[in-house]
Amino acid sequence: MKNLIINFKVIIVLTLLMMSVGMISCKDYLDVIPKAQVSDATLWAETGNADLFLNGIYGSIRGPIDFFDHGDNYTDNSISQYLWADSRGRYVLGIETPGSTSNLQQWSQFNNIRACNVFISKVEASNLDEDWKKLRLAEARFLRAYFYSVLWTTYGGVPIITEVLDRNTQGDSIFRARATDEETFKFIDDECTAIADDLPLIPGTSRVGKGAALTLKGWCELFNASPLKNPDNDKTKWALAAATNKQVMDMNVYSLFPDHATMLFQANNNNNEIIFCKTYLGGTNIGNSRSGLQPIGVVGGIQLSWSGVNPTQELVDEYDMANGLPITDPSSGYDPQNPYVNREKRFYDDINYDGSIWLGYESVYWTGSGSLNELDLNFGGSNRPCTVYHPRKGIEPQFCQNGYNNLSGANWAIFRYAEVLLSYAEAQNEAVGPDASVYDAINKVRARVDLPSLPAGLSQNEMRIAIHRERRVELCFEDKRWPDLIRLKLAETLIPGSVHTFQITKVNGIKVYTLVPTGGSDRAFDPAKNYVLPIPQSAMDQNKKLVQNPGYQNN
Amino acid sequence: MKKNLSYFYGLKNLYNCFQKLLLTLKIALLILICSIQNLSATATYSLNSIDMLQQKTVSGKVTDSQTGENLAGVNVVIKGTALGVITGTDGKYSIAIPDKKAVLVFSFIGYISKEVPFTDRSVMDVVLESAELNLEEVVIVGYGTQKKTSLTSAVSSMQAEKLADDPITNLTTGLGGRIPGLIVRQSTGEPGRDANDIYIRGISSTGSTQPLLVVDGIPRGFQNLDPNTIESFTVLKDAAAVAPYGVAGANGVILITTKRGKTGMPTVTFNSYMGFQNCTVLPKLPTAYEFASLQNAASVNVGGNPLYSASDLRKFKDGSDPDGHPNHNVYNELFDKNTPLNSYSLALSGGADRVKYYASVGYQYQGGIWAPTYQKRFNYTMNIDADVTKTTKISFGINGTEQLNSAPTIPTERLFELVGYATPITPLTFSNGQGGTYVWGDVFQSGKSLTNISQLFTQLSIEQKLSFVPGLIAKGTIAFDPTFTRNKAFRTPAHLWSVDTTKTPYQYIDGIFEQTKPSLSESMDYSKQLTYQASLNYERNFGKSSLGGLFLFEAKSNDDSYFGATRRNYNLTIDELDMGSSDLADISNSGASSSARQLGLVYRVNYDYDQKYLFEATGRYDGSYYFAPKKRWGFFPAFSLGWRLSEEKFMKNIDWLNNLKIRGSYGEVGSLAGSAFQFLSLYNVYGPAAVLDGGAVQAATEGTESNPDITWERAKKTDMGLDATLWKGLLQIEADCFYELRSNMLANPTVIVPVEYGVSLSQVNAGKMDNRGIDFTIGTNYSVSKDLHISLSGNFTYAKNKLLQVFETPTTYDNPNRRITGRPLGTKFGFESIGYFQVKDFDSNGNLLPGIATQPWGKVYPGDVRYKDINKDGKIDDNDITVIGNANIPQIIYGITANVTYKSFSFDVLFQGVGKTSFFGPWGYWQPFNSGRGAWESNMDYWTPENPNASHCRITPSPTENNSQVSSYEIFNSRYLRLKSLSLSYTIPTVVSRKIGVQNAKIYISGQNLLTFTPIINYDPEIVQSEALDYPPQRVISIGINLTIF
Repeated sequence: MKNLIINFKVIIVLTLLMMSVGMISCKDYLDVIPKAQVSDATLWAETGNADLFLNGIYGSIRGPIDFFDHGDNYTDNSISQYLWADSRGRYVLGIETPGSTSNLQQWSQFNNIRACNVFISKVEASNLDEDWKKLRLAEARFLRAYFYSVLWTTYGGVPIITEVLDRNTQGDSIFRARATDEETFKFIDDECTAIADDLPLIPGTSRVGKGAALTLKGWCELFNASPLKNPDNDKTKWALAAATNKQVMDMNVYSLFPDHATMLFQANNNNNEIIFCKTYLGGTNIGNSRSGLQPIGVVGGIQLSWSGVNPTQELVDEYDMANGLPITDPSSGYDPQNPYVNREKRFYDDINYDGSIWLGYESVYWTGSGSLNELDLNFGGSNRPCTVYHPRKGIEPQFCQNGYNNLSGANWAIFRYAEVLLSYAEAQNEAVGPDASVYDAINKVRARVDLPSLPAGLSQNEMRIAIHRERRVELCFEDKRWPDLIRLKLAETLIPGSVHTFQITKVNGIKVYTLVPTGGSDRAFDPAKNYVLPIPQSAMDQNKKLVQNPGYQNN
Repeated sequence: MKKNLSYFYGLKNLYNCFQKLLLTLKIALLILICSIQNLSATATYSLNSIDMLQQKTVSGKVTDSQTGENLAGVNVVIKGTALGVITGTDGKYSIAIPDKKAVLVFSFIGYISKEVPFTDRSVMDVVLESAELNLEEVVIVGYGTQKKTSLTSAVSSMQAEKLADDPITNLTTGLGGRIPGLIVRQSTGEPGRDANDIYIRGISSTGSTQPLLVVDGIPRGFQNLDPNTIESFTVLKDAAAVAPYGVAGANGVILITTKRGKTGMPTVTFNSYMGFQNCTVLPKLPTAYEFASLQNAASVNVGGNPLYSASDLRKFKDGSDPDGHPNHNVYNELFDKNTPLNSYSLALSGGADRVKYYASVGYQYQGGIWAPTYQKRFNYTMNIDADVTKTTKISFGINGTEQLNSAPTIPTERLFELVGYATPITPLTFSNGQGGTYVWGDVFQSGKSLTNISQLFTQLSIEQKLSFVPGLIAKGTIAFDPTFTRNKAFRTPAHLWSVDTTKTPYQYIDGIFEQTKPSLSESMDYSKQLTYQASLNYERNFGKSSLGGLFLFEAKSNDDSYFGATRRNYNLTIDELDMGSSDLADISNSGASSSARQLGLVYRVNYDYDQKYLFEATGRYDGSYYFAPKKRWGFFPAFSLGWRLSEEKFMKNIDWLNNLKIRGSYGEVGSLAGSAFQFLSLYNVYGPAAVLDGGAVQAATEGTESNPDITWERAKKTDMGLDATLWKGLLQIEADCFYELRSNMLANPTVIVPVEYGVSLSQVNAGKMDNRGIDFTIGTNYSVSKDLHISLSGNFTYAKNKLLQVFETPTTYDNPNRRITGRPLGTKFGFESIGYFQVKDFDSNGNLLPGIATQPWGKVYPGDVRYKDINKDGKIDDNDITVIGNANIPQIIYGITANVTYKSFSFDVLFQGVGKTSFFGPWGYWQPFNSGRGAWESNMDYWTPENPNASHCRITPSPTENNSQVSSYEIFNSRYLRLKSLSLSYTIPTVVSRKIGVQNAKIYISGQNLLTFTPIINYDPEIVQSEALDYPPQRVISIGINLTIF
C-alpha cells in the first residue's frame, strides 16, 4: 500500500515534469518573426508601402558638406578657425590622399545609387498602379542622376551602374570599371532628358519635378562647358547649358523669393525659388544644425556655439556698394577705413562684422578690445575667430545655440532659381556674349537685393567678371563655391597662398583697418591632380578595375 | 577649503554609514526574530542556553581512516575562534568547549579537514581522510556535478568566500588572476558599468567572444549578485566541459553556484565594509604657466607670435589674477576623492532533517567621482530545499536585485571628452564659484539620468528518485527571470559662465550652453526569460565499474519589449511627462519588441573502471531561432578520457606522489555570432526620414544582403591536461594545453564586393581561426607551525590566436607585411616610426636631402616624425605599412595569490599581471592640442634641436597630418603587474566577541588595485579605448567587519 502511494507521488512528479516539456511545441517553437523589419512581399505590395523606400532615398540625400566645417571652408570664401578641421588641416594644404577621409569625399553615394536601382527594378517588376509607377520611377531616376552628378563633379568618370548588383548571379561582373568623364556626363544628361516630361510641373512639397530635372541637366551642362571639362572652349557646350537653363526659366514656375534675408529660413521652406532641396525636421535626428554651429559663437559674453566658419576678406570685398558698383571701382565710394558702410543689402544679410548687431549685442572683433571674439591670428588655441567675420546668411536667430534640442527644420537648398538665372547668364555670355537676355537674368538677381542693373555695354569679359562675382556673392555659404572654383579652374590661383582678413585696431579711439593674412597657411593646390579628388583607398582595394585619378596613385 | 570639505564629507559619510548599519541591523533582527519564532523551539532554546555550558572539556584521538595510525600534530580549533590545540604524538587532544553550539575543526596537512559539531559528549574520536582519497569531493559541471577524481575535462573552480570581503562592486572584478584560463579586463570603473570583459582562454573568433554565464544551472548574468551569497565559481574550458551548452559554449562557460542552507542550527552572519575609492591613475597635467609656455612654443614653432605675453605668463604663474589668468587642474578640482563604497550583508541559514533554508539581504552603495554619479544596490535571496519524501526533493529559490544608477544626463564619454578641453588655463570655476567650462555645468547642472533595474531570478525544481531503476533520478526545473529596467533622464540647462576682464571689477556673465529649457526622456524595458529543463540522471556502481548518464531537455525563451517617451522644452522643472510642453513638435515616443528561442537535448555518459580508467561522452543537439529552418539544428559532441596513473600498482609505492591523472578531450561546440535573421531578406523601417508632401515621413531601406545558408560557427577543441598532488598536498598542479580550431566562422565578406555594390552583406560561415596555449595553476599549502600556515598559488595563461582564413583585399593580402591572414586577430598595423627628422636631414633651404624617403602629408620640418621606408622605394606610402603592435586583449595573464595565517591573523594577497599586449595611445591626448584639447605634463618633453631624442615630436598648435599617422609612434606596450587585491583580517578572541554579544567577530582591511607596475603613463593600463574617454578604474581601501551573530 505504501509503495503504491509513493509510486502515485512519483507519477504526479513525472507528470509535472512532462507537462513542462509538453508546454513547448518543438515544431514551431523556434519560429520567431522579427518585428523590427518588413519583408519583400509586404513592401512592394502597395504603393503606400513602396513609397517608404523612396522616402528613404529622399532622406539620404546629402545636405551641406558639413554643418561645422562648412563647404566654403574648402575654398577662398571662408576658413575654419580650427586648425584641425578637415578643410584647413588637410584639403587646402593640398594633401588629400586616397587614405584620408575629408568631408568632400562622395564615394558613398553609390549606396544611394543602389537604393535607386533597387526601387526602380522592384517597381518596374510590380503590378502597381501605372500612373504612380511612371511618376515614382522618374523621381528615382532623377535622384540617381543627381547622385551621379555629385560623383562626376568630384571624381570625373565613375562606374555607371543601373541595375541591382547581385554577387550570386553576376559573378565577377559586379566589378565595374570607370566610365569616361564624357560617358558619365552623357548618362546624367540623357537621364534628365528622358525623365523630365514624366515629372510634374508642380510636384508634391519637397519632391522633385520637371524643373529639378532640367536644372540638374543645366548645371551639369554648365560644368561640362566650363574650362576644366572644355579646355578648347567649345561654344556649343555653353550654348547647350544656356538652352537648358532657359527651359527652366521658361517654365514660369519658379521665381525669386522677395526677401533675400529670410529666403532660407525654416518658415520659408518650399518657397517658389526652391527647385530641389534636402529636407530637415527641427528637434529630431534629422534636424539642421547650421544655425547652431556656424554663426558667431560668443554673444553678449555667453558661449552659444563654436563658430566653425570665418568668412574671408576676399569674399567680403566681392560685395558691391549699395550703388551697385564694385569696391574696386574708384567711383564706388568705398572707404577702406570705413569699409562696412553703404554696402549692398546682401552684405548685411550674409556677414556678421565688427560693429554689427547680432541677437541684440554688438559684435566686437577689434584687436585689444578684450572681446571673446577678438581676432586671433595665432594659430588657434583660444577658440577665437581667425578673421573678423562670421556668416549670418540663412542663420536663424532662434536656433543660434548649439544643441540637439535646438535643431532647426530649415531645408538645405540644393538648387534654387537664382542659380538657374546666373547659370543661364554665364552660359549665354560665353556662348554668344552679353546679350539682353544675359543682362535680364543677372539684373533679376540684383534687383531682388535693390542693386541697380549692370551698366549697358559691358564687354564679354567684363560681363564674365560681373557674373562670377554675382554668383560668388549670391550663392556663398551654399556649397557652390567649391565646384565653381574647380570647374572654372580658378582653384589653382585662389586656394594657394593666403586668405586674408582685416585686422582692426584702435588708434586714438579711431578704428584702423589693416589687411593681414590669416594664420596657419601652407595652402597649396596642385593643378596636375587636385581638380579631382582621389578615389578612396578602400574602393580601390575592393575593385581592381578602378583606376585612380592621376597623381594619387599609391604605387 | 576643498580639503576641509572632503574631510567633512568623509565624516558625514562615516556617520551615514553608521546609521545605515544600525538600521540594517535592526531590520535584520526583526527578520530574524520572525524567522526564528516560526522555525523551531530549539533555536530559541539555544539563545538562552549559552552560559550554562561553560567550561565543558572534550578529549579524544585522531587517526588515519585508511591505516588507523595515530595522527600527531593535527590542529584542533573551535570554529570561528582562535581557541585551539594540537594533537600529541599519540594523536590525542583535549580542549575546553565554550558553548554547546561549538564546532570543532580538525585539520592536518595532506588530509581533508573535518568539522565536528560538539554534541555534549566528553570524548570525541575523529578519523581523518587522506586528501588523496578525497573521492567524494565534487565539482560543479554543466547540468550536474561530478567527482573531482573522475573528472576528465578542463574545469577550474574557485570558492567565492574570498570575494565577500573584497571591496568590489561587480563580481567579475573578483575573478581576474584567480582562475587559470580566464582573461579579465576592466576598462571602466563607472558605477553600474564596471563589468569586466571576460575571455576564456583568449579570443577564438572574430565574432562573439564572451563566455556563457550560468547561475544555478540557468543561463543568466551574474554581475550584480551579492558576493556574500555566492558559493563557488566554476570555469568550463574544454570541449568536454562545454559541449552540454552546445551552441552557447564555444567561448567557454562560467558557472556560479549560490549558497544554500546546510543542516544545522540557524546561523546569522553579518558582513559589512566601508571603503574609500580613488582613481587608480589620473593624467599628470602641466600648470597654467607651463601650459601657456607650451602653447607659446607651439605658435612660435610654426612662424606665429607667442600667444601670451611675459606679463600673462607671470600672472599664470603667480596666480594673482585667478579669473583672468586661471590655473586649474581639472582632475584635482572636478573629481571627488575618497568616494564611499559601502556594503552590508546579512544572511540566515540552517536546516533541519528535511528542510534547509538560506536567506540573505544585502545593500551596497557606491559613490562616483562626482556627486550625480552613484549606484545603490539591494540584493535579496531566499531558497529552500525540502525532502518532501524520501525520494522527492523540491527546491525553490528567488534571487533578486534592485539597483539604482544615477549619472549626469550627459553621456560619460562626452563628459570625459569635455574634461580634455578643460585645460589648465581655462576657468574651470570662477572665484564666484560658478563653472566657466562646459564640463562643470554638464556634470553638476545637467540633471540626472536615473536607471532603475529590478531583476529577479526565480527557480523551482523537483527531483524524483525512481526506485524501480536504482540510481535513476528524474528532475524538472522551471526558471522565470523577469527584468524591468526604467530610465528617467531629466536634462536641465547647464550654465556656462564667462568673465569680461575689460571691466573693473571683472564682470561675470551667466550663460546657458546647449539646451535652454529642460527635457525629459523616460523609457521602460521589460524582458523575461523562461527556461524549462527536464532530465533523467543515472548513476550506479557495478563492482569496479561505475556508470553515469544524463539526458536533458532544455527550452529557453527570451522576450523583450521597450517603450520610451520624450518631451522637450519644459517650462516647469517638474520631471513628469505630463508637465512638459504641449507642442506636438516637442513630444515623441518609441517602442519595439523582440524575441529569442533556443531548444536543446543534452546527453552525458561517463564510465570508469576501478577509478583508474575514465571515459566520458557528452554533447548536445541544439536548435536556435537565429537561422533558417533548415540550418537551425546542430549536433555538438565531445569525448574525453582520463587515466589516474597514481592508482596503478607500479605507482602506488611512490609515496610522494599522491595523485596523478592525465586526461584528454576532443569535441565540437558551436557559437552564435552576429545578429539573428540574417537568412531573411528584410527592409529596415525607421523614421522620421524626410519631410515630404508637407509632413515628416517614415522610410524603409534595404537591410544587409541576406545569406540563407548562414548557420553556427563550429569550434573543434582539443585539450590535454594533468592533475597532480605531491607530498600530501604540499604541491598541487593542474595544467592544460589546448588547441582550438574555429571554422565556419561568421565573417563579414564586405571586402569581396566593390564599395560600389552599395549594400552591406550578411555574414557568411567562411572564416577560420585557431587559438592555442597553455594554462596552469600550481599551489602549495604548508604549516610552518601550529600557528603559522602559508598557502601560495600561482596561475598562468597563455593564449595565442591566429586568423587562418578571413576576407582580405589583395592590397593587404599580397603584401607580407600587411597580411592579416596568419596573424593574431587585432594585430596592429601602421607605419614604423624611426624617430624624428633632424636638422642635418635638411639642406639650407629647408628641403629634405636627397636619399631620404619623402612623406606625402605636407612639408616636413626637423622634429617631425619620420617613418621607415620598408620597401626602400624612396617614398613613404601605404606599401610601407607593417605590423606595429599586439592586440588589445593580452596573450598572457597571470596571477599569484598568497595566504598567510598566523594565530588570529590572516593575510591574503593577489598579484595579477598581463603581457603581450599593446594599445594605441589615447590619441587626443598623446598629441598635445588635438582638436582643442590640452596637453599632458609629459608633452613638455618635445623635440628641439637641443633635445633631438625627446619623447614627443616637434610641438605644433595642432597635430600635423604627418605626425598623426597611425604608427608605432603612438603604440604603447600595455603590460602590467598590479597588486590587485590585499586583505588583512583579525579574528577577535571569543572572550571579547562574546562580550559584545556575538559568536564570532572578524575585522579586516582590504584593498583593490593598490599598486601598478606598467610602462603606460597617465592612464590605467586596463583602459583600452584609444581616446581614453572612460571613467578610470578605482583603487579601493576598505575596512570591514564580519560577525556571526547567532
